[in-house]
Amino acid sequence: MTEEILPSAEFRAQLQKRGGATASRCYQCATCSSVCQLAPDQAPFPRKQMHYVQWGLGDRLAADPAVWLCHYCNDCTTRCPRDAKPGDVMQAARSLTVETLAAPRFMGKLVGRAKFTWPLLLGLPFAFWVIALYALNGLTIPEAPLVYDVLVPHWLIYVVFFPVTGLVLLATLISGLRFWTLIGKNQERSGSFIGTVIPAMIEVGVHSRFAKCGTAGSRRWGHFFLMWGFIGALIATTLAIVALYLIGTYPLPLDHPFKFVGNIAALLLLVGGIWLWINRLKGGEQSGTSTAFDNFFLYLVLLVILSGIFTEVGRFYFPPALACWIYIVHLTSILTMFATFPYSKFAHLIYRTLAMVHERMAELKASK
Amino acid sequence: MNAATQKPLLVVGAGIAGISAALEAAEAGQEIVLVERDPAIGGRVVRNLHYFPKLCPPTCGMEINIRRLERNPRVRVITGAQVTKASRSGDGWSVTLTHAPRYVNSRCTACDECSQVCPAKVPDPHNLLMLEVAAIRLPHADAWPRIYTMDRNACPAGCTKCVEACKFNAVNLDATEQTEELEFSAVILATGWQPYPIEKIEELGGGKIPDVIANVQMERLASPTGPTGGKIQKPSDSKPPKRVAFVQCAGSRDVKHLPYCSAVCCLASLKQAIYVREQLPDSEVTIYYIDRRAPGRNEDMLTKVAGMDGVKLVKGKVGKIEKGAQGLTLRVEDVESGKLTDAAADLAVLATGMMSSLKDAGLPFDIERDDDGFGLDNPRAGLFVAGVARRPEDVAASVRDATGAAAKAIAAAKQSP
Repeated sequence: MTEEILPSAEFRAQLQKRGGATASRCYQCATCSSVCQLAPDQAPFPRKQMHYVQWGLGDRLAADPAVWLCHYCNDCTTRCPRDAKPGDVMQAARSLTVETLAAPRFMGKLVGRAKFTWPLLLGLPFAFWVIALYALNGLTIPEAPLVYDVLVPHWLIYVVFFPVTGLVLLATLISGLRFWTLIGKNQERSGSFIGTVIPAMIEVGVHSRFAKCGTAGSRRWGHFFLMWGFIGALIATTLAIVALYLIGTYPLPLDHPFKFVGNIAALLLLVGGIWLWINRLKGGEQSGTSTAFDNFFLYLVLLVILSGIFTEVGRFYFPPALACWIYIVHLTSILTMFATFPYSKFAHLIYRTLAMVHERMAELKASK
Repeated sequence: MNAATQKPLLVVGAGIAGISAALEAAEAGQEIVLVERDPAIGGRVVRNLHYFPKLCPPTCGMEINIRRLERNPRVRVITGAQVTKASRSGDGWSVTLTHAPRYVNSRCTACDECSQVCPAKVPDPHNLLMLEVAAIRLPHADAWPRIYTMDRNACPAGCTKCVEACKFNAVNLDATEQTEELEFSAVILATGWQPYPIEKIEELGGGKIPDVIANVQMERLASPTGPTGGKIQKPSDSKPPKRVAFVQCAGSRDVKHLPYCSAVCCLASLKQAIYVREQLPDSEVTIYYIDRRAPGRNEDMLTKVAGMDGVKLVKGKVGKIEKGAQGLTLRVEDVESGKLTDAAADLAVLATGMMSSLKDAGLPFDIERDDDGFGLDNPRAGLFVAGVARRPEDVAASVRDATGAAAKAIAAAKQSP
């Protein structure tokens, strides 16, 4: 059966802008696939994906779970005889896929061009908080001892974050479904989705795939701490709401067990964030070549972590005005992170998990 | 200007390129001095069992060349000597040759009495150090000039056994280094090549796993004058291999090793696949390649070998070779099927490339080199480069290249009084 192939120069240009220009050096020797510790025997990567990139076959790349099964170990880049940096090309392919599958598309474009749009992405939420608080209480800084609820009432946080979270979850669901349908077209699956998600999430939870990475193996722990830090922060936030409405305690005393959970999460986030930041500063093949898309995300996460920790510390030790402004910066960074979730590097959470579930279900189908 | 007053041409290196350049120029009427560092001429080609694509032994062509050298009064061949100094003199070159001490002189009849009594053993450079030989010996079976050579440093203190054994008084343990100054009109550098060291290809087990060998070693294993007397066997246990894998582009076309294609390794592996299949009819040969580079009439050889029973060609560069319980494991993606495999083999031959020797030859000429280390002609200085010193090429291309270099050098010499 013959198949029509339509190489897209536009796609190639897009990918080049995102750090995939080195793909043109590739001569398809397949060293990359053979040294990849994560590539499955029956569908190895990234040699084939390098071919897709060279031919501008963006649709195939978007529908390929391998793009997400790659953990950017860079063992391929270390050994590539042409210095075509397959690791970077796969990273570029992921960032472009996030944009391609984004719902709505313009949000994907906006975050995809974070190199230029980051002032807007941070500025809008910041302006929103400043204007909202000014309208509410003229931005009056409360007296010490500081209670943040006086500056930003809880209802305002709910009014902002509940709808934003809802929209973001909807957008994520749409993108996730787009992706799930695309990858399902190329490879049949069987088994139950729910039944497969659980083992896949356990695998993610212990980072067992990341452990196989050679060149970028050190990134595993940074990512591990960061991921559990976010999970911890989610749990701590839930607990805080429980404390507020079911127990009636606010603000939580520092020795409260719920506060302890939050502080552990903050510590994990801090260690993980700094780990990955130092890793990136060291550069070289173990960190890969970071693009604006990567940097925007890491710096945003660092801003969330640091502003969060200083908000907590500032309540007791900083002048109220300084602490309040740090809190506003914290709310800004959180709002940006939430609102950009399906369009930033954060989206790998959904795509990579789906790809891993798909891989298991496809294996089950193949074994039948 | 007549030939009698014309300064001779210097040809450095008596491998196939140097010999060809010297003979072509001499037969065109030019006086020639051909200098070789080793005790015998022939360079890399005499280490091959067969040439591709005709699969004839190099001794055959060498015999003809040696006859041409012996018959031509215009060529002076100097072995065991190196160019140690060179300076511009008018339009030509003033050159100092340093002759290594000649412990065995031309009275030697190659009777082998000395070798048989010699107590010192040294690794044989002709056999790429895979075999131990006597310190005093014929450089190799077909050596020309047919004079013994000696590794004087290997001699036990006070040993004079070879001197006593020689009936012709040809051995002189007190020989010293000699120098000679000569004037030349132009210079052809044909210093040849060195194989890329497999120890540098760690990822494929080079230098670490005994049954991972280089193509140049395979050539010696298959040769009747080689370390195994021509038996193709595994270095680890001296048993014949059942599964032989050839790994193309090992350390070649790789920015981390040699960035260029050496132009001969594909054909060399096809040739060696024939050695293996002819000697071991039960064997299975697999050639792992990126591209099958067999230009011109060499394509017939590719077609022939690809169609042979027991030979498989698999597109995919081997990424890793590991030693397992049952021999070697080669990790490779079969690009045509798109599947990763852990292929098993008993012997892996790394098809390594060629490096120009100009870089390490220590020659006193200021030679321009390209990014890959290969020499460039400098007609204004009367310096020409021939053979693999100039670019990676096979024997036939090297001979053609040498002929061209001879023509260019003659033209330059005519302009140099």
